[in-house]
Amino acid sequence: MLGNFTYIVIAICILVAVAFAWQEYRRANKRHLLLRIIAVVLAVTALACIILPIAYDGALNKTAERKAILLTTGFNNDSLNRADTNIITADAVIKNQYPNAKLINGLNELPKNTNLHIYGYGLNEDELAQLDTLPIVFHPAKAPVGVNYVNWDGSIKAGEPLHVQGQYNNTSAQKVKLVLNGLNTGLDSVMLPPNAQTNFNLSTIPKTTGKIVFTLYADTALQGSIPVQIAPVKPLRILMLSASPDFESKFLKNWLTGNGYAVALRSAISKNKFNSEFINTDQFNLSKLSAQTLNKFDVVFGDLSVFNGLSVAENSALKQAVADNGLGLIVRADSTGKTSWLQQPFPVDRASGKEPAAGPILINGKKSAGKLNNGLAYIAYQNGTQPLIKNTQQQVLASSALYGSGKIIFTTLNNTFTWILGGNKQDYWLLWSTLITKAARKENPDESQIEVLTPAYAGEPVHLQIAQGNASPLIINGKNTPSLQNAAIPFEYRAQYRPAKPGWQTLQSNNWYAYTKQSWAVMQASAKLSATKKYAKAHQINSIVTKQIQQKMRIDVPKIYFYILLLAACTFLWAEIKSLF
Amino acid sequence: MAKPGGIHQIQNLRRRRIIYRVLEDALYALYAALYAGGLIYYLLSPTWLWGMLIFPIALAILLAIHRPWQINNEKIAAFLNKEYPELQESTQLLLLPTDELNPLQHIASSKTAAVLAGLKVSHKHFSSRLLKAFIALFVSVALLWVVAKNLPKRSVQSSSFHPVNECAPIPNEKMLPQVSTVEIIITPPAYIHRPKRTWDKFSLTVEEGATLTWTIKTNIAIKKASLLFNNTEQIPLKPTKNTNWYASRLIDKAGFYQVNIDGKLSDLYYIQVIKDAAPVIHLKSPKQYTYIDAGEAPRVNINTSLDDDYGLISATIMATVAKGRGEGVKFKEYKLNFAEGFAAQKPQYDLKKLIDLPALNMEPGDELYFYVQAQDTRKQLSRTDVYTVSIQDTAELLSMNGMLTGANLKPEFFRSERQIIIDAEQLLKEKDTIALEKFNARSNNLGIDQKLLRLRYGKFLGEEGEDAIGAPNNDAADPADFSNAQKILKEYTDDHDNAEDAGFLEPTVKAQLKATLTEMWKAELQLRLYKPQAALPFAYKALRLLKDLQQKSRSFVAKTAYNPPPLKDEKRLSGELDKIIQPINKQDIKPVADQTDGLKKAVTVLEGLKQNPVKKAADGQVLQAAYLQLSQRASQQPGIYLPAMNAMRRILSSPKANLNDINSVERVLQKTLIALKNMPSAQGNQVDMGLSKQYYKNLKQANR
Repeated sequence: MLGNFTYIVIAICILVAVAFAWQEYRRANKRHLLLRIIAVVLAVTALACIILPIAYDGALNKTAERKAILLTTGFNNDSLNRADTNIITADAVIKNQYPNAKLINGLNELPKNTNLHIYGYGLNEDELAQLDTLPIVFHPAKAPVGVNYVNWDGSIKAGEPLHVQGQYNNTSAQKVKLVLNGLNTGLDSVMLPPNAQTNFNLSTIPKTTGKIVFTLYADTALQGSIPVQIAPVKPLRILMLSASPDFESKFLKNWLTGNGYAVALRSAISKNKFNSEFINTDQFNLSKLSAQTLNKFDVVFGDLSVFNGLSVAENSALKQAVADNGLGLIVRADSTGKTSWLQQPFPVDRASGKEPAAGPILINGKKSAGKLNNGLAYIAYQNGTQPLIKNTQQQVLASSALYGSGKIIFTTLNNTFTWILGGNKQDYWLLWSTLITKAARKENPDESQIEVLTPAYAGEPVHLQIAQGNASPLIINGKNTPSLQNAAIPFEYRAQYRPAKPGWQTLQSNNWYAYTKQSWAVMQASAKLSATKKYAKAHQINSIVTKQIQQKMRIDVPKIYFYILLLAACTFLWAEIKSLF
Repeated sequence: MAKPGGIHQIQNLRRRRIIYRVLEDALYALYAALYAGGLIYYLLSPTWLWGMLIFPIALAILLAIHRPWQINNEKIAAFLNKEYPELQESTQLLLLPTDELNPLQHIASSKTAAVLAGLKVSHKHFSSRLLKAFIALFVSVALLWVVAKNLPKRSVQSSSFHPVNECAPIPNEKMLPQVSTVEIIITPPAYIHRPKRTWDKFSLTVEEGATLTWTIKTNIAIKKASLLFNNTEQIPLKPTKNTNWYASRLIDKAGFYQVNIDGKLSDLYYIQVIKDAAPVIHLKSPKQYTYIDAGEAPRVNINTSLDDDYGLISATIMATVAKGRGEGVKFKEYKLNFAEGFAAQKPQYDLKKLIDLPALNMEPGDELYFYVQAQDTRKQLSRTDVYTVSIQDTAELLSMNGMLTGANLKPEFFRSERQIIIDAEQLLKEKDTIALEKFNARSNNLGIDQKLLRLRYGKFLGEEGEDAIGAPNNDAADPADFSNAQKILKEYTDDHDNAEDAGFLEPTVKAQLKATLTEMWKAELQLRLYKPQAALPFAYKALRLLKDLQQKSRSFVAKTAYNPPPLKDEKRLSGELDKIIQPINKQDIKPVADQTDGLKKAVTVLEGLKQNPVKKAADGQVLQAAYLQLSQRASQQPGIYLPAMNAMRRILSSPKANLNDINSVERVLQKTLIALKNMPSAQGNQVDMGLSKQYYKNLKQANR
């Protein structure tokens, strides 16, 4: 039929062409006769070519790549080539989105011996591990809008601030307000500029102890939850030795004991005469320091002259308590001269000139609100020490050094009580909390400690690292879980667990948190992106283009050329007639 | 005769037309002012000032456009010609002078005059536009009235009778299903003098001391009903019919309540109380401490304003007069009333009272202490600080005690100021008995004395004597002094800064001496003007300053009576301490119990319920304790805590907690809890079987 149609068309066209040519020939004015006849023939030929399919046999170069495309979340429809056929996905949501894709049940169903191209955000570490060194080509999607990464200290002490730091990727043209929410109240917020990746730092001081879940919102969109365990503060036991009754130790004692801390205070009032105070602690003999006495305390706070005046036996007991048992020492510089083992790491220098005016001081880098007259003396920095308090001229006023398993803190400040007298409690509390916390003998931990190596999402496997002194079985959420002991480090165990439900999970007596699958979506995506990029770099496809095959095929000639030809011929004819008149 | 009548009529018409025009413009201006003023009032600022400004401006513009004064007789004549054909187009002839008319015009004009006289020109022609203006004005007033009715008022009129709280929207409240309606009759306390009013919601704001009567209608018959106040106090509702229940209670503090019908409790409803504030007294004069110098009028003018929210019933001045000195001080109390009566019990009074001090038996040296006290209709008292008025003690000033016994006697001319005062007072006493000339002469003499005294003191300051300057020296010149440059120079220059003349006085003493001289100057002036009465205050002040100067050069040492015990020589400097006991102090200080501990525990429980909404028995106990704490706070501030309490009640009553309820409770808890203190604490060690300990030990050895 088609063959007949072709011939019919050709026949009609020839007839028409002859008829038109005859008409042109018969015209009285013989101008451009030849051209006109050619134009008529061309026009009819072009018409015929438009009606009839014209094709030619050509050879096409084609790569013989056996290619499989894996779609993951975040892929872009436009980045896919229509010609690609072997498209698969492991996600039912993507299957809905892109019906051409073939849904597979797991990555183990991936076709082997093909080059795997991954589109979208990629796969997470666990899924990549399942690929089993299969080489891939990764086509990463653009980083999504949201919190790229975020971090905070998941277990803090009561009264400590919670800092939530991270980076927000804002590709939109609007500003975004990031809000830290706790107990259904906005606690801190920050405005993030448009079209920028901005680091943020939100902080709050939680008002309760226990397990609290804070949340982070960008405008009104929930980014994810921030689980925090806030432990109550256990009162410490502090021994204070002062060379004379003075305000500094008196105010410190009042503050500590008022909050339930145990304080024993010995202040010399005359030669070999001491005034002793025992608050919240049992009474015992304080005139001689023994190892037994020192082990009752977490921190010893005293004047340098008292330590210098200790007998040899007392001194060695103190050294041993610090070095072996982790006792903390806070030494107040009240005299120079005789150098003792305590002052060795902290040479005290004196600035020349007039005593500077009272100014703010930097406690752990944070500027105090109140001013303090810190005098001329300062500690010359030495390697192996950690400055804790400085003045605004960057002179060290308190510094800490390791001594065995304990710490020695040395300070030249001796008038911080003026802050309390002036009603500036916050700075006073901060200063002494910093010093005493740094010095205090470390608590003996619970029987086990837990570390979640990757963020835990409900329904996905989590790698846990557990430090545990005994070989008791690992119990997660009340169920016995197998664990792997590290061959080299006997107290380290590893376990893999798949939390069924989001929320707090238990492990022995510890708690850890599993997020819902939707939370921190952007962070998950960027983690996948970087993991897959890393994997793709390590497992490149070596022979990406294997060989080219010549393939014969019919190629249609585009009709547009014939249209143009027809139009050109008709235009010539029309113009030629017009020019006659 | 007809002609002038014709002109007269035309002029009348003209006047009428002008009046109508002006009236019309005024109405239009009023219309514009009302519109613009109304718009500004409702949209921009609630003041009528703009409307008042716009009216004259609009009127001026309209008058400038219409120019009613330019309507002349010709225009009126043309108008008449047009309107009344019977005038035969000849009205303007009437306006022309009679002499200029030709005979034909004469006839026509007389004819027209006759017709015009008989014509009744109706007001209709002039008033139609006026009517339009009137209608426009009426419409604008109606529109403004409608707008005022419908638009919410921009500013709540701040009178004490409409506290802002009452106007705040009340959240939708849930009633028990049995309750169909509630009507609460609020009877404000009698002293406020306000009528009863009714309220149809359970939550309400009332005046302190108001009596509430609830009338609750139920849709079905119920057995028992009561009101539960602040979770503690139960008031039974009494039935009138089976479905009508009532109860009444006096409200004297804020709180919340629930309706209990057959054992089923409703939501919590709040009662907020508007406290009756105590009166506020503002004393404008006198100052806290007033000193009346001798010679000044011994009067105090008390000027005060009193404010209260409902009304004042009394205000008094409580005055105490202290007489005498040292141990002989006697006090006498007076109660002084203001002239104005308080029968009206107005909320605001401005009061004045002039106290004549001699009328209170006050003499020089006495002191008056007073305060103003006011009482409002609730019998709440408030009072001002104590104000002091003291009169200068002239007797003390004039006494010679200090000078006679002092070690350092001052020159006798210190007495002169005192003498001048005594003389001036004597003169004043004798004023009525002596002749005017003599009085004046004596006053002038006293002035001269005062001048001499001043000059003498001036010498202490290095001032030159007044008589020395420029006084011609008529003494025969000493021939030896001829061409003595020094002498000639002395004649024509001032002897300032002469070390011989200047007293070696301290700067402060000098300053005070200068002040004394100034006072003397002023006293002298008054004496020379024959006004010894006016001179007295200055003279007294000068005397006081002189006395102060005199006192400054003295010092006083009090006598003491202490005999130290004798020292034991054998014990001194021996260095024995064995009898000294070492002080030991042992005590236990309990940290202050945390008030909000229960609430903190509740937070932990609520956080747990968020994850797993099924309550455990222990959770219920913790939440119940927190509920009690919240209810204590709610009885003080029901507005803040009631929503959370309602949510807490729902959590407690249902086995499964609702997330919205948890959120609303948590929000209030976050607001209530106080930030934790940052206290020192120990850091934790690693679980490492002593590995890190070994590490640190080795580190120390390596460092050595």
